[in-house]
Amino acid sequence: MSDGRKEKVKIQVSKSFNSLLVLDRLHFSVYENEFLVIVGPTGCGKTTLAHIIGGLYQPTEGQVTFDGEIISPKRHNLSFVFQEPSCIPWRTLWDDIKIGLEIKKSKPAAIQRRVKEMIELVQLTGFENYYPYQISGGMKQRVAIARAYATDPDLLLMDEPFGHLDAQTRYLMQIEITRVWEQLKKTVLFVTNNIEEAVFLAERIIILSRLPAHIKGIVPVDLPRPRDNISSDFLAIRSQITQMCETADEEKRG
Amino acid sequence: MIGISKEGWKEIGFNLLSLFIAFLIWEIFTRYMNSPYFPSVGRIWGAFALLAKRGDVEGITLLQHIFASIVRILAGFGAATVMAIPLGLLMGLYPDIYKRTRAVLEPVRFIPPIAWIPVAIVLLVGFSRYAFLIWLGAFFPIFINTLVSVPRVNPIHVNVTRIFGAKRWYIIRKIVIPSVAPDMASGMRIGLGIAWMCIVAAEMIGGEMMGVGRLILKYAELIRMAEIIVGMLIIGLIGFLMNEIFLRVEKRLFRWRWEVSLD
Repeated sequence: MSDGRKEKVKIQVSKSFNSLLVLDRLHFSVYENEFLVIVGPTGCGKTTLAHIIGGLYQPTEGQVTFDGEIISPKRHNLSFVFQEPSCIPWRTLWDDIKIGLEIKKSKPAAIQRRVKEMIELVQLTGFENYYPYQISGGMKQRVAIARAYATDPDLLLMDEPFGHLDAQTRYLMQIEITRVWEQLKKTVLFVTNNIEEAVFLAERIIILSRLPAHIKGIVPVDLPRPRDNISSDFLAIRSQITQMCETADEEKRG
Repeated sequence: MIGISKEGWKEIGFNLLSLFIAFLIWEIFTRYMNSPYFPSVGRIWGAFALLAKRGDVEGITLLQHIFASIVRILAGFGAATVMAIPLGLLMGLYPDIYKRTRAVLEPVRFIPPIAWIPVAIVLLVGFSRYAFLIWLGAFFPIFINTLVSVPRVNPIHVNVTRIFGAKRWYIIRKIVIPSVAPDMASGMRIGLGIAWMCIVAAEMIGGEMMGVGRLILKYAELIRMAEIIVGMLIIGLIGFLMNEIFLRVEKRLFRWRWEVSLD
Protein backbone atom coordinates (compact mmCIF):
# COMPACT_ATOMS: atom_id res chain seq x y z
CA MET A 1 0.00 0.00 0.00
CA SER A 2 2.80 2.36 0.86
CA ASP A 3 4.24 1.78 -2.62
CA GLY A 4 4.78 5.24 -3.99
CA ARG A 5 1.81 6.75 -2.14
CA LYS A 6 2.35 9.74 0.00
CA GLU A 7 1.90 9.48 3.75
CA LYS A 8 -0.89 11.97 4.37
CA VAL A 9 -1.83 11.61 8.01
CA LYS A 10 0.51 10.22 10.63
CA ILE A 11 -1.05 9.07 13.89
CA GLN A 12 0.98 8.44 17.03
CA VAL A 13 -1.30 8.82 20.03
CA SER A 14 -2.35 7.56 23.44
CA LYS A 15 -5.44 8.76 25.23
CA SER A 16 -6.71 8.27 28.74
CA PHE A 17 -9.72 9.68 30.52
CA ASN A 18 -8.56 10.20 34.10
CA SER A 19 -6.98 6.86 34.99
CA LEU A 20 -8.74 4.90 32.23
CA LEU A 21 -6.42 4.18 29.33
CA VAL A 22 -8.51 4.18 26.15
CA LEU A 23 -5.99 4.30 23.30
CA ASP A 24 -2.70 2.54 23.91
CA ARG A 25 0.09 3.85 21.66
CA LEU A 26 -1.68 3.72 18.30
CA HIS A 27 0.84 4.27 15.54
CA PHE A 28 -0.28 4.19 11.92
CA SER A 29 -0.59 6.33 8.81
CA VAL A 30 -3.24 7.15 6.26
CA TYR A 31 -1.98 7.48 2.69
CA GLU A 32 -3.07 9.97 0.11
CA ASN A 33 -6.45 9.12 -1.49
CA GLU A 34 -6.66 6.00 0.61
CA PHE A 35 -9.89 4.48 1.89
CA LEU A 36 -8.78 3.26 5.29
CA VAL A 37 -11.22 1.47 7.58
CA ILE A 38 -10.76 0.99 11.30
CA VAL A 39 -12.73 -1.90 12.80
CA GLY A 40 -13.06 -2.70 16.44
CA PRO A 41 -15.62 -3.85 18.96
CA THR A 42 -18.09 -1.32 20.36
CA GLY A 43 -16.69 0.79 23.13
CA CYS A 44 -13.08 0.26 22.11
CA GLY A 45 -12.38 3.95 21.66
CA LYS A 46 -12.86 4.21 17.89
CA THR A 47 -14.96 7.34 18.20
CA THR A 48 -12.40 8.90 20.50
CA LEU A 49 -9.69 8.07 17.97
CA ALA A 50 -11.65 9.63 15.11
CA HIS A 51 -12.23 12.80 17.16
CA ILE A 52 -8.53 13.02 17.99
CA ILE A 53 -7.53 12.60 14.35
CA GLY A 54 -9.99 15.37 13.46
CA GLY A 55 -8.39 17.65 16.04
CA LEU A 56 -11.62 17.82 18.04
CA TYR A 57 -10.08 16.13 21.10
CA GLN A 58 -6.50 16.37 22.25
CA PRO A 59 -4.48 13.18 22.75
CA THR A 60 -3.00 12.56 26.19
CA GLU A 61 0.30 11.66 24.58
CA GLY A 62 1.68 11.95 21.08
CA GLN A 63 0.27 13.77 18.11
CA VAL A 64 -1.48 13.56 14.78
CA THR A 65 0.19 15.25 11.86
CA PHE A 66 -1.15 16.15 8.45
CA ASP A 67 1.51 16.66 5.79
CA GLY A 68 4.00 16.88 8.64
CA GLU A 69 2.13 19.60 10.50
CA ILE A 70 0.07 19.07 13.68
CA ILE A 71 -3.50 18.58 12.56
CA SER A 72 -6.05 21.31 13.24
CA PRO A 73 -9.43 22.04 11.68
CA LYS A 74 -8.43 25.69 11.51
CA ARG A 75 -5.40 24.95 9.31
CA HIS A 76 -6.48 21.86 7.40
CA ASN A 77 -9.46 21.13 5.27
CA LEU A 78 -11.23 18.36 7.21
CA SER A 79 -14.72 16.92 7.31
CA PHE A 80 -16.41 14.61 9.77
CA VAL A 81 -19.55 12.50 9.51
CA PHE A 82 -20.69 11.93 13.07
CA GLN A 83 -22.18 8.75 14.41
CA GLU A 84 -25.10 10.51 16.09
CA PRO A 85 -27.67 12.50 14.13
CA SER A 86 -25.96 15.81 13.53
CA CYS A 87 -28.35 17.89 11.42
CA ILE A 88 -28.76 21.43 12.73
CA PRO A 89 -32.45 21.48 13.68
CA TRP A 90 -33.08 25.15 12.82
CA ARG A 91 -31.48 24.95 9.38
CA THR A 92 -33.09 23.69 6.22
CA LEU A 93 -31.27 20.90 4.39
CA TRP A 94 -29.88 23.45 1.97
CA ASP A 95 -28.54 25.70 4.74
CA ASP A 96 -27.22 22.72 6.65
CA ILE A 97 -25.23 21.36 3.71
CA LYS A 98 -23.70 24.75 3.01
CA ILE A 99 -22.48 25.35 6.58
CA GLY A 100 -18.91 24.24 5.90
CA LEU A 101 -18.66 26.44 2.82
CA GLU A 102 -20.16 29.30 4.80
CA ILE A 103 -17.49 28.91 7.51
CA LYS A 104 -14.75 28.68 4.90
CA LYS A 105 -16.14 31.87 3.33
CA SER A 106 -16.76 30.55 -0.18
CA LYS A 107 -18.35 32.92 -2.66
CA PRO A 108 -22.17 32.79 -2.77
CA ALA A 109 -22.24 31.66 -6.38
CA ALA A 110 -19.78 28.86 -5.64
CA ILE A 111 -21.80 27.80 -2.59
CA GLN A 112 -24.95 27.75 -4.70
CA ARG A 113 -23.36 25.53 -7.31
CA ARG A 114 -21.66 23.18 -4.89
CA VAL A 115 -24.68 22.62 -2.62
CA LYS A 116 -26.83 21.86 -5.63
CA GLU A 117 -24.28 19.29 -6.79
CA MET A 118 -24.15 17.67 -3.37
CA ILE A 119 -27.93 17.49 -3.07
CA GLU A 120 -28.05 15.70 -6.41
CA LEU A 121 -25.26 13.38 -5.32
CA VAL A 122 -27.11 12.18 -2.22
CA GLN A 123 -30.43 12.30 -4.05
CA LEU A 124 -32.23 14.81 -1.89
CA THR A 125 -33.42 17.04 -4.75
CA GLY A 126 -36.78 18.55 -3.87
CA PHE A 127 -36.11 18.50 -0.14
CA GLU A 128 -33.90 21.61 -0.04
CA ASN A 129 -36.30 23.61 2.10
CA TYR A 130 -37.20 20.85 4.52
CA TYR A 131 -36.14 20.91 8.16
CA PRO A 132 -34.57 17.87 9.83
CA TYR A 133 -37.74 17.12 11.80
CA GLN A 134 -39.57 16.66 8.52
CA ILE A 135 -37.32 13.96 7.07
CA SER A 136 -36.34 10.38 7.92
CA GLY A 137 -33.21 9.20 9.72
CA GLY A 138 -31.64 7.89 6.54
CA MET A 139 -32.15 11.23 4.82
CA LYS A 140 -30.59 13.06 7.76
CA GLN A 141 -27.51 10.90 7.48
CA ARG A 142 -27.31 11.70 3.78
CA VAL A 143 -27.46 15.39 4.66
CA ALA A 144 -24.53 14.88 7.04
CA ILE A 145 -22.59 13.11 4.29
CA ALA A 146 -23.39 15.79 1.70
CA ARG A 147 -22.30 18.46 4.17
CA ALA A 148 -19.02 16.63 4.75
CA TYR A 149 -18.33 16.26 1.02
CA ALA A 150 -19.36 19.79 0.14
CA THR A 151 -16.14 21.40 1.34
CA ASP A 152 -14.07 19.03 -0.76
CA PRO A 153 -12.01 17.93 2.27
CA ASP A 154 -8.43 16.72 2.18
CA LEU A 155 -9.33 14.24 4.89
CA LEU A 156 -12.81 12.84 5.36
CA LEU A 157 -13.47 11.20 8.72
CA MET A 158 -16.51 8.96 9.02
CA ASP A 159 -17.47 7.59 12.42
CA GLU A 160 -19.91 4.69 11.98
CA PRO A 161 -21.91 6.90 9.66
CA PHE A 162 -24.38 4.16 8.78
CA GLY A 163 -24.77 2.73 12.26
CA HIS A 164 -28.29 4.04 12.77
CA LEU A 165 -29.60 3.06 9.36
CA ASP A 166 -31.70 0.06 8.47
CA ALA A 167 -29.98 -2.76 6.56
CA GLN A 168 -31.30 -1.73 3.15
CA THR A 169 -30.46 1.96 3.39
CA ARG A 170 -27.11 1.02 4.85
CA TYR A 171 -26.32 -1.15 1.84
CA LEU A 172 -27.34 1.59 -0.58
CA MET A 173 -25.24 4.12 1.28
CA GLN A 174 -22.22 1.83 1.17
CA ILE A 175 -22.53 1.51 -2.58
CA GLU A 176 -23.01 5.25 -2.86
CA ILE A 177 -20.00 6.05 -0.74
CA THR A 178 -17.67 3.84 -2.77
CA ARG A 179 -19.02 5.38 -5.95
CA VAL A 180 -18.38 8.86 -4.61
CA TRP A 181 -14.93 7.91 -3.37
CA GLU A 182 -13.97 6.44 -6.72
CA GLN A 183 -15.23 9.60 -8.39
CA LEU A 184 -13.62 12.15 -6.11
CA LYS A 185 -10.64 10.17 -4.76
CA LYS A 186 -10.51 11.58 -1.29
CA THR A 187 -8.49 10.43 1.66
CA VAL A 188 -11.06 8.68 3.81
CA LEU A 189 -10.80 7.30 7.31
CA PHE A 190 -13.87 5.24 8.06
CA VAL A 191 -14.66 3.78 11.48
CA THR A 192 -17.02 0.85 11.97
CA ASN A 193 -17.76 -2.15 14.16
CA ASN A 194 -19.13 -4.09 11.22
CA ILE A 195 -16.56 -6.39 9.61
CA GLU A 196 -18.57 -6.95 6.45
CA GLU A 197 -18.89 -3.22 5.96
CA ALA A 198 -15.15 -2.85 6.44
CA VAL A 199 -14.32 -5.46 3.80
CA PHE A 200 -16.88 -4.00 1.43
CA LEU A 201 -15.39 -0.50 1.61
CA ALA A 202 -11.73 -0.60 2.54
CA GLU A 203 -8.48 -0.56 0.68
CA ARG A 204 -6.86 -1.35 3.98
CA ILE A 205 -8.32 -2.38 7.33
CA ILE A 206 -6.85 -1.70 10.75
CA ILE A 207 -8.17 -4.00 13.46
CA LEU A 208 -8.35 -2.62 16.97
CA SER A 209 -8.53 -4.66 20.17
CA ARG A 210 -10.82 -4.17 23.11
CA LEU A 211 -10.03 -1.49 25.68
CA PRO A 212 -7.36 -0.21 25.95
CA ALA A 213 -7.30 -0.21 22.16
CA HIS A 214 -4.13 -1.21 20.38
CA ILE A 215 -3.60 -2.33 16.80
CA LYS A 216 -4.32 -6.02 16.40
CA GLY A 217 -3.46 -6.21 12.74
CA ILE A 218 -3.55 -4.48 9.38
CA VAL A 219 -5.17 -6.21 6.40
CA PRO A 220 -5.06 -4.90 2.83
CA VAL A 221 -8.18 -5.61 0.78
CA ASP A 222 -7.34 -5.88 -2.88
CA LEU A 223 -10.68 -6.81 -4.38
CA PRO A 224 -12.21 -5.29 -7.51
CA ARG A 225 -15.08 -2.85 -7.11
CA PRO A 226 -18.03 -2.92 -6.86
CA ARG A 227 -17.41 -5.72 -4.41
CA ASP A 228 -19.43 -8.87 -4.27
CA ASN A 229 -20.05 -9.68 -0.64
CA ILE A 230 -20.70 -13.36 -1.29
CA SER A 231 -17.65 -14.05 -3.47
CA SER A 232 -15.16 -16.50 -1.99
CA ASP A 233 -12.36 -13.90 -1.85
CA PHE A 234 -14.60 -11.53 0.06
CA LEU A 235 -15.64 -14.20 2.51
CA ALA A 236 -12.02 -15.30 2.99
CA ILE A 237 -10.91 -11.84 4.04
CA ARG A 238 -13.98 -11.46 6.17
CA SER A 239 -13.33 -14.66 8.11
CA GLN A 240 -9.65 -13.77 8.43
CA ILE A 241 -10.58 -10.51 10.14
CA THR A 242 -13.25 -12.16 12.26
CA GLN A 243 -10.63 -14.61 13.45
CA MET A 244 -8.20 -11.81 14.26
CA CYS A 245 -10.88 -10.12 16.34
CA GLU A 246 -11.58 -13.32 18.22
CA THR A 247 -7.95 -14.10 18.98
CA ALA A 248 -7.66 -10.60 20.30
CA ASP A 249 -10.29 -11.50 22.84
CA GLU A 250 -8.72 -14.81 23.78
CA GLU A 251 -5.38 -13.18 24.38
CA LYS A 252 -7.04 -10.94 26.88
CA ARG A 253 -8.61 -13.83 28.73
CA GLY A 254 -5.34 -15.77 28.76
CA MET B 1 -55.88 33.06 14.14
CA ILE B 2 -55.96 31.72 10.59
CA GLY B 3 -57.42 28.27 10.20
CA ILE B 4 -58.52 27.15 13.65
CA SER B 5 -58.98 23.38 13.66
CA LYS B 6 -62.08 21.54 14.81
CA GLU B 7 -60.25 20.68 18.04
CA GLY B 8 -59.35 24.34 18.41
CA TRP B 9 -62.97 25.46 18.15
CA LYS B 10 -63.97 22.82 20.66
CA GLU B 11 -61.36 24.10 23.08
CA ILE B 12 -62.54 27.67 22.63
CA GLY B 13 -66.13 26.55 23.19
CA PHE B 14 -65.28 24.80 26.43
CA ASN B 15 -63.30 27.79 27.67
CA LEU B 16 -66.26 30.07 27.03
CA LEU B 17 -68.45 27.60 28.90
CA SER B 18 -66.01 27.57 31.86
CA LEU B 19 -66.03 31.36 31.86
CA PHE B 20 -69.82 31.40 31.87
CA ILE B 21 -69.94 28.93 34.77
CA ALA B 22 -67.42 31.00 36.74
CA PHE B 23 -69.57 34.11 36.27
CA LEU B 24 -72.66 32.14 37.23
CA ILE B 25 -71.07 30.89 40.46
CA TRP B 26 -69.94 34.44 41.27
CA GLU B 27 -73.41 35.78 40.60
CA ILE B 28 -75.11 33.18 42.81
CA PHE B 29 -72.56 33.80 45.54
CA THR B 30 -73.04 37.58 45.50
CA ARG B 31 -76.84 37.26 45.58
CA TYR B 32 -76.53 34.95 48.56
CA MET B 33 -74.08 37.28 50.37
CA ASN B 34 -76.00 40.42 49.44
CA SER B 35 -73.20 42.75 50.58
CA PRO B 36 -71.48 45.81 49.03
CA TYR B 37 -68.17 43.96 49.46
CA PHE B 38 -69.30 41.34 46.97
CA PRO B 39 -70.57 43.21 43.89
CA SER B 40 -72.59 41.24 41.38
CA VAL B 41 -71.41 40.57 37.82
CA GLY B 42 -73.83 43.24 36.66
CA ARG B 43 -72.38 45.84 39.02
CA ILE B 44 -68.82 45.00 37.99
CA TRP B 45 -69.82 45.38 34.36
CA GLY B 46 -71.47 48.70 35.19
CA ALA B 47 -68.29 49.90 36.91
CA PHE B 48 -66.27 48.79 33.91
CA ALA B 49 -68.50 50.68 31.49
CA LEU B 50 -68.35 53.81 33.60
CA LEU B 51 -64.57 53.65 34.02
CA ALA B 52 -64.15 53.11 30.31
CA LYS B 53 -66.42 55.95 29.29
CA ARG B 54 -66.20 58.63 31.91
CA GLY B 55 -63.08 57.64 33.72
CA ASP B 56 -62.35 57.39 37.41
CA VAL B 57 -62.81 59.90 40.20
CA GLU B 58 -60.17 62.08 38.56
CA GLY B 59 -61.57 61.62 35.10
CA ILE B 60 -58.80 59.32 33.86
CA THR B 61 -60.29 56.71 31.55
CA LEU B 62 -59.60 53.00 31.69
CA LEU B 63 -57.77 53.12 28.37
CA GLN B 64 -55.40 55.77 29.71
CA HIS B 65 -54.73 53.62 32.76
CA ILE B 66 -54.07 50.56 30.63
CA PHE B 67 -51.81 52.44 28.25
CA ALA B 68 -49.74 53.90 31.10
CA SER B 69 -49.28 50.46 32.66
CA ILE B 70 -48.34 48.79 29.37
CA VAL B 71 -45.69 51.45 28.67
CA ARG B 72 -44.16 50.86 32.13
CA ILE B 73 -44.28 47.10 31.75
CA LEU B 74 -42.59 47.22 28.36
CA ALA B 75 -39.90 49.61 29.61
CA GLY B 76 -39.03 47.46 32.64
CA PHE B 77 -39.36 44.23 30.72
CA GLY B 78 -37.35 45.59 27.79
CA ALA B 79 -34.53 46.73 30.07
CA ALA B 80 -34.58 43.33 31.78
CA THR B 81 -34.37 41.50 28.45
CA VAL B 82 -31.57 43.66 27.10
CA MET B 83 -29.51 43.08 30.24
CA ALA B 84 -30.41 39.49 31.11
CA ILE B 85 -29.74 37.90 27.72
CA PRO B 86 -26.14 39.07 27.20
CA LEU B 87 -25.34 38.46 30.86
CA GLY B 88 -26.92 35.00 30.79
CA LEU B 89 -25.01 34.15 27.61
CA LEU B 90 -21.75 35.43 29.03
CA MET B 91 -22.08 33.50 32.25
CA GLY B 92 -23.30 30.43 30.40
CA LEU B 93 -20.27 30.51 28.13
CA TYR B 94 -17.89 31.24 30.99
CA PRO B 95 -19.42 29.31 33.90
CA ASP B 96 -16.56 30.36 36.16
CA ILE B 97 -17.91 33.92 36.24
CA TYR B 98 -21.23 32.63 37.50
CA LYS B 99 -19.69 30.15 39.93
CA ARG B 100 -17.49 32.83 41.43
CA THR B 101 -20.24 35.43 41.78
CA ARG B 102 -23.03 33.10 42.87
CA ALA B 103 -22.90 34.29 46.45
CA VAL B 104 -23.78 37.77 45.23
CA LEU B 105 -26.32 36.90 42.53
CA GLU B 106 -28.36 34.16 44.09
CA PRO B 107 -29.49 35.87 47.30
CA VAL B 108 -30.54 38.92 45.27
CA ARG B 109 -32.76 36.66 43.21
CA PHE B 110 -34.82 35.73 46.26
CA ILE B 111 -35.51 39.25 47.49
CA PRO B 112 -39.10 39.93 46.44
CA PRO B 113 -39.61 43.11 44.37
CA ILE B 114 -41.88 44.47 47.10
CA ALA B 115 -38.96 44.42 49.54
CA TRP B 116 -37.15 46.83 47.23
CA ILE B 117 -39.86 49.48 47.51
CA PRO B 118 -38.20 51.56 50.24
CA VAL B 119 -34.89 51.49 48.38
CA ALA B 120 -36.63 52.55 45.18
CA ILE B 121 -38.38 55.40 46.99
CA VAL B 122 -35.12 56.67 48.44
CA LEU B 123 -32.90 56.27 45.39
CA LEU B 124 -35.15 56.76 42.38
CA VAL B 125 -37.69 59.19 41.08
CA GLY B 126 -40.53 59.18 38.59
CA PHE B 127 -40.57 56.72 35.75
CA SER B 128 -37.40 54.95 36.88
CA ARG B 129 -39.21 53.71 40.00
CA TYR B 130 -41.77 51.89 37.90
CA ALA B 131 -39.21 50.54 35.52
CA PHE B 132 -36.91 49.38 38.30
CA LEU B 133 -39.52 47.34 40.15
CA ILE B 134 -40.75 45.71 36.97
CA TRP B 135 -37.17 45.11 35.86
CA LEU B 136 -36.54 43.29 39.16
CA GLY B 137 -39.40 40.92 38.49
CA ALA B 138 -38.56 40.22 34.85
CA PHE B 139 -34.77 40.05 34.96
CA PHE B 140 -34.08 36.81 36.78
CA PRO B 141 -36.34 34.44 34.86
CA ILE B 142 -34.75 35.58 31.60
CA PHE B 143 -31.23 35.54 33.02
CA ILE B 144 -31.52 32.11 34.64
CA ASN B 145 -33.24 30.52 31.66
CA THR B 146 -30.50 31.73 29.32
CA LEU B 147 -27.74 30.78 31.74
CA VAL B 148 -28.82 27.18 32.25
CA SER B 149 -29.58 26.65 28.59
CA VAL B 150 -26.07 27.34 27.31
CA PRO B 151 -24.46 24.16 28.71
CA ARG B 152 -27.28 22.18 27.13
CA VAL B 153 -26.21 23.11 23.60
CA ASN B 154 -25.68 19.84 21.75
CA PRO B 155 -21.90 19.33 21.49
CA ILE B 156 -22.35 17.59 18.14
CA HIS B 157 -23.72 20.79 16.65
CA VAL B 158 -20.68 22.62 17.98
CA ASN B 159 -18.36 19.97 16.54
CA VAL B 160 -20.10 20.18 13.15
CA THR B 161 -18.83 23.75 12.91
CA ARG B 162 -15.50 23.16 14.66
CA ILE B 163 -14.44 20.51 12.14
CA PHE B 164 -14.77 23.15 9.42
CA GLY B 165 -12.51 25.47 11.41
CA ALA B 166 -15.23 27.76 12.80
CA LYS B 167 -14.06 30.47 15.17
CA ARG B 168 -15.54 30.99 18.60
CA TRP B 169 -17.62 33.96 17.55
CA TYR B 170 -19.18 32.02 14.65
CA ILE B 171 -20.08 29.17 17.01
CA ILE B 172 -21.70 31.59 19.46
CA ARG B 173 -23.71 33.33 16.74
CA LYS B 174 -24.71 30.36 14.63
CA ILE B 175 -24.95 27.50 17.11
CA VAL B 176 -25.16 28.70 20.71
CA ILE B 177 -27.65 31.55 20.24
CA PRO B 178 -30.10 29.63 18.03
CA SER B 179 -29.93 26.66 20.42
CA VAL B 180 -30.60 28.84 23.43
CA ALA B 181 -33.23 31.05 21.74
CA PRO B 182 -36.26 28.90 22.65
CA ASP B 183 -35.24 28.93 26.32
CA MET B 184 -34.61 32.67 26.18
CA ALA B 185 -38.07 33.14 24.76
CA SER B 186 -39.75 31.06 27.45
CA GLY B 187 -37.75 32.97 30.05
CA MET B 188 -39.06 36.18 28.51
CA ARG B 189 -42.59 34.89 28.61
CA ILE B 190 -42.27 34.01 32.30
CA GLY B 191 -40.56 37.36 32.94
CA LEU B 192 -43.38 39.22 31.26
CA GLY B 193 -45.87 37.41 33.51
CA ILE B 194 -43.94 38.37 36.62
CA ALA B 195 -43.65 41.95 35.33
CA TRP B 196 -47.43 42.16 35.41
CA MET B 197 -47.41 40.81 38.93
CA CYS B 198 -45.16 43.69 39.97
CA ILE B 199 -47.28 46.43 38.42
CA VAL B 200 -49.35 47.21 41.53
CA ALA B 201 -46.25 47.40 43.72
CA ALA B 202 -44.59 49.66 41.15
CA GLU B 203 -47.56 51.98 40.81
CA MET B 204 -47.93 52.12 44.56
CA ILE B 205 -44.74 54.20 44.73
CA GLY B 206 -44.73 55.98 41.39
CA GLY B 207 -46.13 59.45 41.87
CA GLU B 208 -48.58 59.50 38.98
CA MET B 209 -52.30 58.90 39.26
CA MET B 210 -52.39 56.81 36.12
CA GLY B 211 -52.01 53.08 35.70
CA VAL B 212 -54.15 50.03 36.35
CA GLY B 213 -52.37 49.31 39.62
CA ARG B 214 -52.95 52.91 40.70
CA LEU B 215 -56.60 52.53 39.79
CA ILE B 216 -56.93 49.61 42.19
CA LEU B 217 -55.17 51.51 44.96
CA LYS B 218 -57.36 54.56 44.40
CA TYR B 219 -60.56 52.60 44.78
CA ALA B 220 -59.12 50.59 47.66
CA GLU B 221 -59.02 53.80 49.66
CA LEU B 222 -62.68 54.34 48.81
CA ILE B 223 -63.50 50.67 49.53
CA ARG B 224 -65.26 50.35 46.16
CA MET B 225 -65.06 46.66 45.37
CA ALA B 226 -66.56 46.75 41.87
CA GLU B 227 -63.88 49.10 40.52
CA ILE B 228 -61.14 47.19 42.32
CA ILE B 229 -62.28 43.98 40.70
CA VAL B 230 -62.38 45.67 37.28
CA GLY B 231 -58.72 46.67 37.77
CA MET B 232 -57.77 43.17 38.87
CA LEU B 233 -59.51 41.55 35.93
CA ILE B 234 -57.90 44.00 33.50
CA ILE B 235 -54.42 43.07 34.74
CA GLY B 236 -55.27 39.38 34.49
CA LEU B 237 -56.71 39.78 31.02
CA ILE B 238 -53.86 41.81 29.52
CA GLY B 239 -51.30 39.47 31.08
CA PHE B 240 -53.18 36.53 29.62
CA LEU B 241 -53.40 38.09 26.15
CA MET B 242 -49.72 39.02 26.08
CA ASN B 243 -48.81 35.51 27.18
CA GLU B 244 -50.97 33.99 24.44
CA ILE B 245 -49.46 36.20 21.75
CA PHE B 246 -45.97 35.38 22.98
CA LEU B 247 -46.74 31.67 22.99
CA ARG B 248 -48.02 31.83 19.41
CA VAL B 249 -44.91 33.64 18.24
CA GLU B 250 -42.72 31.14 20.09
CA LYS B 251 -44.44 28.16 18.51
CA ARG B 252 -44.09 29.65 15.06
CA LEU B 253 -40.47 30.73 15.46
CA PHE B 254 -39.25 27.53 17.05
CA ARG B 255 -41.32 25.06 15.13
CA TRP B 256 -38.22 22.93 14.70
CA ARG B 257 -38.25 22.33 18.42
CA TRP B 258 -41.92 21.71 18.96
CA GLU B 259 -42.60 19.34 16.10
CA VAL B 260 -42.13 15.66 16.74
CA SER B 261 -39.33 14.14 14.70
CA LEU B 262 -40.12 11.33 12.28
CA ASP B 263 -37.80 8.80 13.87
